[in-house]
Amino acid sequence: MTSEELKSVTANQIVDARGTACPGPLLAAKKAIGDIESGDIMEVLSSDEGTKHDIPKWCEKMEHEFLGIVEEDSYSRLFLKKA
Amino acid sequence: MERKKMTLGLFTGSIDKLTAAGVIISGAVADDYQVDVYVLLQGARVFKKEVGDDATQLPMAENPQLKEEFEASLKELKVKTWLEFFRTAKELSEVKIHVCGLAGKIWGADKLSDFVDIVDDIVGINSYITSAQEADIHLFI
Repeated sequence: MTSEELKSVTANQIVDARGTACPGPLLAAKKAIGDIESGDIMEVLSSDEGTKHDIPKWCEKMEHEFLGIVEEDSYSRLFLKKA
Repeated sequence: MERKKMTLGLFTGSIDKLTAAGVIISGAVADDYQVDVYVLLQGARVFKKEVGDDATQLPMAENPQLKEEFEASLKELKVKTWLEFFRTAKELSEVKIHVCGLAGKIWGADKLSDFVDIVDDIVGINSYITSAQEADIHLFI
């Protein structure tokens, strides 16, 4: 999905991991994924640059669908759909 | 999907290497790895109840003169302590922590109750070798 399309997406769960360094955002996503249903959308907020590589790779391995990233001024919004 | 296995031989008792081990384990449990940690020699000391993540009792393996700066940076970056990493990992996946019996005895700890509550058992070296042989990933820190 494009960044513009993602801006209109309402996530079922928002995980705010801003201010934490690697592996904080990944661990936060891993913890929260168990709380949502298959097909639900999760949004991870992260100010850690490495998360933009980690979360898409993690989704690929865990078979979640990585939807894309929306960049904000000081953080990123990463969207995924649970497998 | 069959769960993959990681075996970690944890020799170190140094705060910098323990932190690295915690980060690596976190990456593994995010991927649903089954992790078996075998705590050897220096590692057994830090798993004792009276040491744990008491940073004053933990040396730094590299750049020991920068330990204070290292600790301050971890705090500023909201990085968990090494023990918190291990504890969180156990909450998120199947993580077992095994302490080498000899290593424990060297530091005066020979009962499970001598160690922090996340230690699962006290084992012999063959358990480590068998686990390493069967693992998809084997690391030694």
